[in-house]
Amino acid sequence: MTVDNLINWFPFGTEWPVLTFVTAVIICALPVFLFIAVYALVAIYAELKISSFMQDKVGPMGQGVGLHAWKFGILQPVADALKLILKEDIIPDLADKKLFVMAPFVVFVGAFISFAALPFGQNIIIADMNIGIFYILAVGSLSVIGIILAGWSSNNKWSLYGGMRSAAQIISYEIPAGLSIISIVMLTGTLSMQGIIEFQSGTIWGVLPNWIIFNNPFSFIAFFIFFISGVAECNRTPFDIPEAESELVAGAFTEYSGMRYAFFFLSEYAEMFVISAIAVTAFLGGWNSPISGFMNSSGWGVFWFMLKSLSLIFLMIWFRWTLPRLRVDQLMSICWKVFLPFSLVNIFGVGIWSLLVG
Amino acid sequence: MYKYFNNIFVAISSILKGMSITWRHMINIRKGNVTLQYPEERWPRPERDIGFDLDSYNVIRSRLHVDIDDCIGCLKCERVCPVQCIKIVTTKAETKGEDLPDIGHTGITSNGTKKALIVSRFDIDMSECCYCNLCVYPCPEECIYMTGGPNSHKHPIDYEFSQYDRNDLIYKFAKDVDDEKISKYVSKKIK
Amino acid sequence: MGVIHGDLMTLNIGPQHPSTHGVLRLKVKTDGEIISEVEPIIGYLHRCFEKHCENVTYDQVIPYTDRCDYIASMNNNFGYAVTIEALMEIKVPERVEYIRIIVAELNRIASHLLALGTYGLDVGAFTPFLYMFRDRERILDLFETLCGARLLYNYIWVGGLSHDLPRDFVESVFSFLDYFEPKIEEYNELLTYNKIFIERTADIGVLPPEVAISFGVTGPNLRGSGVKWDIRKDDPYSIYDKFDYDIPIGAGEMGTVGDCWDRYYVRMVEMKESAKIIRQALKGLPAGDVHQALPKKIRPPKGSIYKRTESPRGDLAYYIVSDGSPIPYRLKMRSPAFTALSVLGEISQGWMMSDVIAILGSLDIVLGEIDR
Repeated sequence: MTVDNLINWFPFGTEWPVLTFVTAVIICALPVFLFIAVYALVAIYAELKISSFMQDKVGPMGQGVGLHAWKFGILQPVADALKLILKEDIIPDLADKKLFVMAPFVVFVGAFISFAALPFGQNIIIADMNIGIFYILAVGSLSVIGIILAGWSSNNKWSLYGGMRSAAQIISYEIPAGLSIISIVMLTGTLSMQGIIEFQSGTIWGVLPNWIIFNNPFSFIAFFIFFISGVAECNRTPFDIPEAESELVAGAFTEYSGMRYAFFFLSEYAEMFVISAIAVTAFLGGWNSPISGFMNSSGWGVFWFMLKSLSLIFLMIWFRWTLPRLRVDQLMSICWKVFLPFSLVNIFGVGIWSLLVG
Repeated sequence: MYKYFNNIFVAISSILKGMSITWRHMINIRKGNVTLQYPEERWPRPERDIGFDLDSYNVIRSRLHVDIDDCIGCLKCERVCPVQCIKIVTTKAETKGEDLPDIGHTGITSNGTKKALIVSRFDIDMSECCYCNLCVYPCPEECIYMTGGPNSHKHPIDYEFSQYDRNDLIYKFAKDVDDEKISKYVSKKIK
Repeated sequence: MGVIHGDLMTLNIGPQHPSTHGVLRLKVKTDGEIISEVEPIIGYLHRCFEKHCENVTYDQVIPYTDRCDYIASMNNNFGYAVTIEALMEIKVPERVEYIRIIVAELNRIASHLLALGTYGLDVGAFTPFLYMFRDRERILDLFETLCGARLLYNYIWVGGLSHDLPRDFVESVFSFLDYFEPKIEEYNELLTYNKIFIERTADIGVLPPEVAISFGVTGPNLRGSGVKWDIRKDDPYSIYDKFDYDIPIGAGEMGTVGDCWDRYYVRMVEMKESAKIIRQALKGLPAGDVHQALPKKIRPPKGSIYKRTESPRGDLAYYIVSDGSPIPYRLKMRSPAFTALSVLGEISQGWMMSDVIAILGSLDIVLGEIDR
C-alpha cells in the first residue's frame, strides 16, 4: 500500500504524473489522519479511565442527556473534542499572530509525517524507505520547532519558559534515543523499517522470539534508554516540564484555546504512538507474532503491531499517573550523565557482541 | 562510582514500587472505588436517630427553615446571627394568644405559648448564611431549624437550592399579607 | 571566561496560579530558571477578621475563626475557646477536654493529609493527592456525623461543645484509625521514598534552625529544621500533658536538616503521633455533660490575655483585650502560616523556578489564615 505502488497501479499514471502523485498521496494521507483522530479519541478515553482506576475513582461515567457521554462515558472524548472545536479561538493581542497561528500545525505535522514510515503490517506501510528509521528520527524533532514557536509567539513569560525548556529537553533526549537506535542498526545492518522487522522473525533457541530486545543484554538496556528518552520527547510525566501545570500553568500552551489547543493535544498523543511504534519496530519485533508461526499472517501482523504499541502507550500512561515530575536540571543530568554514557557503552557492547557471537 | 550506580538502582526500584501500587489500585478498582455518582447516588446524610438524648439537637447543616406558626418573634435568632442574614419585623398584637385567620396568624404555638407579637416579616438570605447553626440553639419554640436530619419529620432535607437570581435566595417565611390588614390588629398603645 | 550578566526578568506567580495554594502573589525576579528574589504579596483574601470581631459577641466570633484556617477549623475553634476560658477562668468538664483533643487531632490528620497531598501535586505526582483526599474525606464524614458540617464546624464552644458525641462515634473513629494507619505506609512507598520525589525535595530550600527561630516560624516547619518545639509539650494547654506521644523532628534523613523533605516527613510522622493521641483519648473518654460549663452569657472580666495553641500549621495564638462588655475590645490572631510565608523569600533565593513551588508547598500555607 505504498505511494509508489499506487502510482504504478493508476491506469493514467504516465499521462498526468502530478495529478497521480497528489491523488496517491491524499489517498495515503487521509486514512492516516483518520487513524490518528480515532486513535487519539481511544487513547484519551483510555487515559481518563486508566488514571481514574489508578486513583480509586470511576472516571467518565456519564449516562446523561444527549451526546454528553454514552454508557461508561465512552463518548466523553468525542464530547471533549466537540467542545474544543466549538470554543472561541483566542489570539492574544500582543502575540506574534502569524507564528501563533502556525505553531500547532508545525507540531502536528512533525508527528503526522512520521506515520509515513511506520510499518503497520507486512505490506501496510506508506513509504517503505531504505532510510525509514532515520527519516522518523529526523522529522520527529520537527515538533520542537513548533513548541518553540508557540512559546515565543504567545508573548507570555510562562510560554517562553515552556518553549525554552522543551527545546533543551527534546534536543538533548534525541541523542540517547538516536544512539540506542544506532546500536540496533549495527545489529540489523539496515535502516529500513521493514528490514529491521524482518531481521527479528524466527526464534532464539526455539523459545524466545528473535526480537532485538532479547538478542543481547546491551540491546535490552538500549530498549529502556530509547523508550524513556521517547517519553521525554513526548513531554509526558515525569518529563513534562515544558507544560508543568503546577509551575508553568500550561507552559507553551498557556495561551492556546479551542481547535489550536486540540492540535497540540492530538500531536502529543500521535507522538506517543510514533515513539511506541518505533520502539516496537526496533526492539519488539514489529508485526511479528510473539510465538513463532502462531497467528503470523499479514492481517494478524497489524493486530500484533497495534497490541504492542498500545501496551507501550499504556506504560506511558502508567508512568504519568504514578511519578512526580523532575526538575529541569535533573532532567538534563539524567540525559547527559546516565543515558548518554550508557548508550555509548551499549554501542560498544553491541559491536563486540556482534563480532563475537553474530 | 558506587553512589552513581546505587542512585540508578534506587531510582528504578522505587519507581517500580510506586508503579506496583498504582497497578494494584487499578486492578482492584471494583473494591477500592470511592466515587459517588452524584445525581444518581447521594452522600448518606447523618441519620435522624443519631444517638442524642435530646431530640431537639440539630446536627444538620442545610437550608434554614422557619415554622412561622410557631414563631413568637423573640428576635433571638436575629441577634445571634453573626452575619445578620435574618431580618424580622414584629408588631405587638392587640390581644395575646388570639387566632387572626384573615392575616394567617395563629395565637398559640405548638408548645402552648401564647403569642404577643405578629411577625410581619421574617426573611432569611441564604446567600449570606454561613451555616454556623447558631440561630438554631437559642430558639425557645424550636421553630427555626436546618432542614433534614433530626428535623426531617418537620421538613425534608433541602441542600440543593441554587437559583438563577440572587434575590430568589432570600426566603420569606412570614405570611404574605399587606400592612393595612395587619394594622387592624396592632395594639392601640403603640399607635 | 567572563560572565555575562543579563537583566533580571520579573515574573508574577499568581494570584491566579495552580500552585500558590489560594490567592497569593509571588513577585519573582528570575535569571533564566534561577530565582534571585521572591517577594510574597498578600492581602487578596483579606476579610477584616480582626476588625469584624470587634463588632460581634464572643460566641459569634467562633464561626469567623472557622474561616481563618479553613483546613483545620477545629483547631482554630479550640484555640479561641481555650483563650476565652483562660480569661474567664472556666473549668471545663473532663469529657469536653477529651472530645476536644480527639477532634483537634483528627483535624490535624485531615490538615496534614491535605498539605501532603497538595505537596505531591506541586511536584507533579497526581495520584497520591487523590489517595490522601480519599482518606481525608473519611475524617470529614466523621465530622459530619458529629456536627453536621464538613469544613466549618463551629463545634468547640467557649466552655464546652455544641453537641455531645453521636452514638457509635468512638467505634467509627477506631475503625478509621485501623484503616488509616496502614495507608501511611502506602503513601511512603508511593511518594515519600520515591527517588524522583527525593531528588525534588531533599537538600532543597534548607531552612536553618536559627533563621527559622528569628523569623518566628513554628509548627512542622520549625520541627523540620530540627528544633523540638511543640506547644502541646512545651506549654501544655487543655490536657495534652496526659498523653504519651513523640514530637517528630527533621533529621536530614535524605539530605540536609531542614530541607523540604524533612518538613514533609515531619508531617507524615505527626499523623502517626496524632493517631496515637486519639487512641489514648478514645480509651480514656469519661462520661459527663458537655454543656455543663457553658456560660450563660460570655462576658469576660476586664483585662487581656495571650494564649497559644498548636494548630497543624504551628503556633496559633489569640490576643484578646476585654473591656468587660460582651464584645471583644480587640482581638489579634497570631497566624502560624503568616510567619511561615515570611521566610519564603529568605530560603528560596538561588533555587530554580520549580524549587520555589516546591518550597512554597512544603511551608503549607493557608491564605485564609495569612490574610485573615
